[in-house]
Amino acid sequence: MTPFNLTQFYADWATILPECFLLLWACVITGAAVLGRTDESKSGTFAIWTIIGTLATAVWVAVTQDGAAFGGTFVFDRLAVVFKEVILAGVILTAAASVGTVSRLRAHRGEYYGMILFSAVGMMLMVSATELLTLYIALELSTVTLFVLAAYHKTNRKSAEAGLKYVILGGISSAILLYGVAILYGLTGTTELARISQGIQRQFMASGSFPPGLALALLLILAGFGFKLALAPFHMWAPDVYEGAPTPITAFLSVASKAAALAAFLRVFFVGGQPAQLIWIQAIAALAALAMIVGNATAIVQTNIKRMLAYSSVAQIGYMLVGAVALDPWGATSISYYAMAYLFANMGAFVCVIAFAERTGSEEISDFSGLSRRSPILAGFFALFLLSLAGVPPTAGFLAKYYVFAAAIQKGYLWLVLVGVATSVVALYYYATVIMKMYFPAEQTEGGFPVARTLTIVLAVSALGVLLLGILPGPVVDWIKAAAQSFVPPT
Amino acid sequence: MADQFIFWVAAIVAIIAAIRVVILKNAVLSVLHLIVTLIALAVLFLQLSAEFIAALQIIVYAGAIMVLFLFIVMLLNLRKDEFGRDQLPWLRLLGTLAGAAFLAELISLIGGGRVMAATVPDGFGSVRSIGIALFGEYMFPFELTSLLLVAAVLAAVVVARRKSSNEVDAAPPAGSEGEA
Amino acid sequence: MNALPVPLGNYIILSGILFSLGVIGVLTARNAIVILMSIELMLNAANLLLVVFARVHGDLGGQVMVFFVLTVAAAEAAVGLAILVAVFRLKGSVDVDRLNILKG
Repeated sequence: MTPFNLTQFYADWATILPECFLLLWACVITGAAVLGRTDESKSGTFAIWTIIGTLATAVWVAVTQDGAAFGGTFVFDRLAVVFKEVILAGVILTAAASVGTVSRLRAHRGEYYGMILFSAVGMMLMVSATELLTLYIALELSTVTLFVLAAYHKTNRKSAEAGLKYVILGGISSAILLYGVAILYGLTGTTELARISQGIQRQFMASGSFPPGLALALLLILAGFGFKLALAPFHMWAPDVYEGAPTPITAFLSVASKAAALAAFLRVFFVGGQPAQLIWIQAIAALAALAMIVGNATAIVQTNIKRMLAYSSVAQIGYMLVGAVALDPWGATSISYYAMAYLFANMGAFVCVIAFAERTGSEEISDFSGLSRRSPILAGFFALFLLSLAGVPPTAGFLAKYYVFAAAIQKGYLWLVLVGVATSVVALYYYATVIMKMYFPAEQTEGGFPVARTLTIVLAVSALGVLLLGILPGPVVDWIKAAAQSFVPPT
Repeated sequence: MADQFIFWVAAIVAIIAAIRVVILKNAVLSVLHLIVTLIALAVLFLQLSAEFIAALQIIVYAGAIMVLFLFIVMLLNLRKDEFGRDQLPWLRLLGTLAGAAFLAELISLIGGGRVMAATVPDGFGSVRSIGIALFGEYMFPFELTSLLLVAAVLAAVVVARRKSSNEVDAAPPAGSEGEA
Repeated sequence: MNALPVPLGNYIILSGILFSLGVIGVLTARNAIVILMSIELMLNAANLLLVVFARVHGDLGGQVMVFFVLTVAAAEAAVGLAILVAVFRLKGSVDVDRLNILKG
């Protein structure tokens, strides 16, 4: 045991200052709400300022601290910075988009924001964890509060059921993940990703083959992440939970929680599993293809817009993982860029659904008919986000798809890219159907409606993100690429 | 010899109890059998010089978590007809196949030969050694678990606390948090 | 004492059986409480592996991990059961057939 070192102690805690800051205010907001000392609009404003403060602290830490803390189990490297900012952007947009939903809650309004912040703490810790044990606990921290958020309309059957389903599937996935971690620990005697990688390599050198059970361990971990990412065939919980949960939470689940899981996935497989790539890379290619096919094929037949977006996000994760088969800095860059493009487009699309449902009370696709007359702004935003999800230039979605496909082709995965392109055409069909309905309705529907001010701001920010990333990707791509190069070991 | 005998008894008890957890139609009995499994596992932990973990397994797992389950089962007072196995037949088949395939895969994992365990010092797995590890090497994840518990308690209170039906802003009655 | 009481394979098989029973329970049980209990079985199978491997490697990390798994299990059970109670209040049932848990 190393002797206690005060300087090291301060340096360690300074590195996790953003999380501490966020946690402190999460406790204050929740505590004030539990004691009934505040109304919900204040909680919401506090939550947003808290996240802005966290962003500022994160920038300060990124500039001043050297990155690793607690013996290297927690790192604040460039990858962590990229994904923390994606997550915090997702949290800000979610909190701002929740204002209307929260004001209609019958109880526990202030705690709602507290729960979101707690979950955000878990996600931020998750993207920084380089040790499986820390990763597992951080993942649990982020999901335990998400369970409750999914069930937040607890007097609504669909929402309560969504919470229960999410608890069950979340529990199963974390148990599967843990079993994989346990086998990996047995094989290598450690839970630190870098040492796991060394251990695997050493055993491979010694015997010329991978240790038995390694494939099983990696597949179990992959399945555990598959559940969190709603990757086919582990996606069966997603449509029900997405449909039943309050819509801002659906957006949060589909954006921030997936970004965190994706970052953890990148670390585990690109760093820890890197020597064993022969084992898992084919599995990931197959899962990505399956997700693209199943997600898009099922999305076509949906009549509820939230279910359609749920299946479409299953497919989107498939596209992201196409970049993973490259297993080089460029692959990691394409995935991260895709995650960012997806953040703005998907968040924007769900906020459009919120704005629409707030005024009309409906989430059916057929009711979007004629939206361009009733609310031209909303229809315009929604069309933009759907086009970005479909991958039409000049939106961010187009470049994102281009990057992941280019990364996969470099490594010779032509078949996977062909599947991707073919399913993109299918996807374009159902996204375009919605747009056609909005702009060229069969019969006229009456009654224009305005969009709430905060929602308009969220929509504008998301639209700006989608367009800026699509038109001026240069600086962002350079930034992400530097991050990817810093953590992917040279092959 | 005695060690082997204890292993086999504990293992068989654990498996039989686990099977009954899954197939019994009475949730109270399921919980009780799960407790038996947990205690059998605690015996195995003792054999593997994990005294502190064995004690925790009984005190926390069997004693606290399972009592929570038991409490909820009794609170809800579920009808017996809710506990059939008659879910979709293909799902049952899938479940059994998945279990069997997993087991087959796992058995292939076992390398031949008797694995020697490392020589461990006296006090390996004792309260003292675990405590030093928890507050030394593993301090960071340990702090995280405290955070996890706080979040879980708050989350459970938010879900389980019942506001009297039509009130919107009135403070909750003092005793209503007890259900979490 | 530097040998395990029985060969390592026995522990792995025992843990595998418990995990498989958990998986089977999760996939076939109709009742959400039994599903949550099956998840506990899966966690315990993982715990057994961790303790055995801690002994094999002579590394306390595995035992510490079990300690953390216990905490996680407690947190999950608390929240899971709270949501279960909320669902029961609404529907008078925790039957997953009626919840269409796996409707795709």
